[in-house]
Amino acid sequence: MSVTINTIINGKAVSASADASTSLLEFIRDTLEMKGSKLCCNTGECGACTVIYNGKPINTCVTMAADANGAEIITIEGLADGDKLHPVQQAFVDTGAVQCGYCTPGFIMSVKALLDRTKKPTAEDIEEAVSGNICRCTGYNKIVDAIHLAADRIAGRA
Amino acid sequence: MAKAELKIIGSSPARMGGIDRVVGKGVYGIDLMLKDQLHGAILRSQYAHAKIVSIDTSEAKKIPGVHAVVTADDAPNVRYGRSYIDRHILARGKVRFMGDPVAAVAADTPAIAKQALKKIKVVYEPLPVAIDPEEATKPDAPTLHDDMPLPKTIPADGKLKNICGHAVVHVGDADKAMAEADLVVDEVYETKMIHPQYLEPRIAAAQMEPNGRLTVWANAQAPFPVRQETAKMLGLPLNNVRVISAGLGGGFGGKGSGITSGGAVEPICGLLAIKAKRPVMIVLDKAEETISTTIRAGARMYIKTGVKKDGTIVARTGKVFYDAGGYSGFGVQAGGRCTNMLGGWYLIPNCHIEGYTVYTNKQVCGPVRGPGGPQAAFAVESHMDSIAAKLGMDPTEFRLKNTPKAGDKIVGVAKLRDVSLGETIRIAKENIGWGKAKLEKNQGIGIATGSWIESAGPGGGAIVKVNEDGSVTVHIGKIDMGTIPGFGIPMIVAEELGIPVSDVTVLNVDTDASPWDAGTVGSRGILVSGGASRLAAIDARNQLFKMAAGKLEASPDDLEIIDKQIRVKGTPAKSVPLATVATDAHNVIGEVIGRGYCDNLQLVAEEKAHGSSQPFTTHACIVEVDTMTGNVKILKYVAVHDIGQPIHRAAAEGQIEGAAAMSIGQALCEQVVFDKDGRTMNPSFVDYLMPTINMMPRIETTLVEGYPGAGPYGAKGAGEIACVPPMACIANAIFNATGVRIKTLPLSPENVLRALKEAGKA
Repeated sequence: MSVTINTIINGKAVSASADASTSLLEFIRDTLEMKGSKLCCNTGECGACTVIYNGKPINTCVTMAADANGAEIITIEGLADGDKLHPVQQAFVDTGAVQCGYCTPGFIMSVKALLDRTKKPTAEDIEEAVSGNICRCTGYNKIVDAIHLAADRIAGRA
Repeated sequence: MAKAELKIIGSSPARMGGIDRVVGKGVYGIDLMLKDQLHGAILRSQYAHAKIVSIDTSEAKKIPGVHAVVTADDAPNVRYGRSYIDRHILARGKVRFMGDPVAAVAADTPAIAKQALKKIKVVYEPLPVAIDPEEATKPDAPTLHDDMPLPKTIPADGKLKNICGHAVVHVGDADKAMAEADLVVDEVYETKMIHPQYLEPRIAAAQMEPNGRLTVWANAQAPFPVRQETAKMLGLPLNNVRVISAGLGGGFGGKGSGITSGGAVEPICGLLAIKAKRPVMIVLDKAEETISTTIRAGARMYIKTGVKKDGTIVARTGKVFYDAGGYSGFGVQAGGRCTNMLGGWYLIPNCHIEGYTVYTNKQVCGPVRGPGGPQAAFAVESHMDSIAAKLGMDPTEFRLKNTPKAGDKIVGVAKLRDVSLGETIRIAKENIGWGKAKLEKNQGIGIATGSWIESAGPGGGAIVKVNEDGSVTVHIGKIDMGTIPGFGIPMIVAEELGIPVSDVTVLNVDTDASPWDAGTVGSRGILVSGGASRLAAIDARNQLFKMAAGKLEASPDDLEIIDKQIRVKGTPAKSVPLATVATDAHNVIGEVIGRGYCDNLQLVAEEKAHGSSQPFTTHACIVEVDTMTGNVKILKYVAVHDIGQPIHRAAAEGQIEGAAAMSIGQALCEQVVFDKDGRTMNPSFVDYLMPTINMMPRIETTLVEGYPGAGPYGAKGAGEIACVPPMACIANAIFNATGVRIKTLPLSPENVLRALKEAGKA
């Protein structure tokens, strides 16, 4: 059974139909052909598919596309302002936090959501915010560096 | 180029391709979408060991939207393998592990493909299974491969079976020396299977071109071996197969062993594309991947060492049972390396170790990050600690007492050139606060060392093309998975050509255009592609200087490139833009194309003449053990590494920290768990635990310089060695905290608690 899904993605109204069993990740990647959100575990464990959904980070692989009707969604493609990267994106590039880069979009969305909530995150805030994102390349060191750098830049401390 | 003159090497510029990755451009294999593509899916064995009585695909073929259903009968009857040629792309007559591919379909949608798999009727006759590699060698164990002979060095007297690899280390007279030792310590250590769990699933896509060529897209670490094996499996000549490397979301050696890594997903996809006459793409599901692709094998290691009262090691003996899985895969090489490394990297004058790589009904061993090394080091470095405790010696002093120096030989290495081991131990002691750190109740401090080889294996090439505007395009045969192509290669080329790093583009591998390469494996990116790219850049520079010399009325030897200007040294006013010379080349030599090659024979000869300058490392940590729950928390972790001259400093640190994290995961939680029938109990990420940020300490990395390696500018490989020490490092700290030595991984809460209870400490 096909359903029509109306959402606002990265500020633009989007209307498309998909099978009722489609996950939000499949809807974004396969129906809308926006490939930035990543498919990995498909069980909500790794965070590679994270988007910001009505202001909160969620795993799109375990969210039904049909439930997103009327939702406002920001994906990794919606962060940069033209050629100007969002401070979180820029910080990931600058600190060497992007190794293979496959977990990066999910991490960036989780961190953006964190820094939308607080300008000066504590170590505990950071740990809590990205505890649902797995990175297999970095051992998390450079990612933590990136989060601090982004927070400092957003707050005008760096 | 002297070190003082280096402008770029050793810094940390932004990674090539970094912006594409943070804005969500689809650069990975999984992001591919071929026009009119079908969705491929693979039917996998539900038995760990069984005869295939029959396969009936007729019902599956009738489903509307199914375009091809293939079994082994649809492919040429040829096998693949690295040392033992023991595997068909689809199981023929028998399945040997749960996850072995049996049939495949191509359909209009993933849902139809899945439905078709369910309609394929396979009749199996289950056979007894062999799960434990040591038990599998015994005469009464089930036989996995009827037609695979034992290695020639094993007597065919029926006492041993299922062995595909036999390695022997023999130095001096270990039995005699052992008899003369003051103390003999005899132990058994065991590691379990882990999955590399790169985040991007394996993909393959294939399409037949109108001219009869087959194009394959693969997220594999070794595109050329994939081409060679795919061509062989499908009966095609190499010039009719083109493999294009899609971007990789991690690999860690799990995608490194040709078609073995993905369980032949590339030739299966090719076969489907040929039969369906349409492009086909296969994406493995993560749980499917855990049961079917290559893994870091488990090993059981018997280790016995004789020492004098003063701590001098006089003898070591040992035995290794290394798990190949259902097919030989990379098991023979990894098992051999494990056997060698069980001899340690200390002064051991007498040594005898036998290593067996054994077929079992499990997933196939791949070259996962330091194949054989982390396993051996868990045994060696736990054992060293154990001996020190029995001698009443400080563990670091015991190690330093037996540390080799320049000119010494160690097991498997005839002569060492520079030896940083002692210095890494001393720095790690300082950084962790050895003997100084105040430890609370149930807290402990541990140390472990490691080494790794990087000199074995074929070389590879590089092509550096200087464009008309002075920018540069580089072809190498290694892929970018967060390793050297995006980080170090642009720096090396920029350094030699006097241009900004951002003016260099390194292309991904296309076997039609890229120079041949064995793959991004074995910590060899810097050695092979780094060395080749440097020589190619120098070759290009020489061509430019030869052409510019006439214009500038100077000798080519007197020229330099600064800020994209070719100029006469000492006379900056006499200059010509790099772009002008590169453009003028059109009328002279056509194009400036520098070629370089990493000559492996030369590397081997140099090592023979001057000795090996291999990397060494020491890790140290402080842990706290919760004696109520068995949970181990790492409070502080230091990693000290000699990797020679770092090329991209942040990338080198990142490799070290990531590799350490992977082995910290294996130490504390990771394990592929089996039941007695060989069924994987934890295939999905819900049950397969990996380190998240919550359990990872901040890894404090120190790079020790001054011990130049065989790579460009004195660099050494950095991708694998940090996987070597962590498991023993943590086990040693737990021993220091509790007095309990745990000899089987993982050091998970339940295993730690059980060990504490058995020792009456919980």
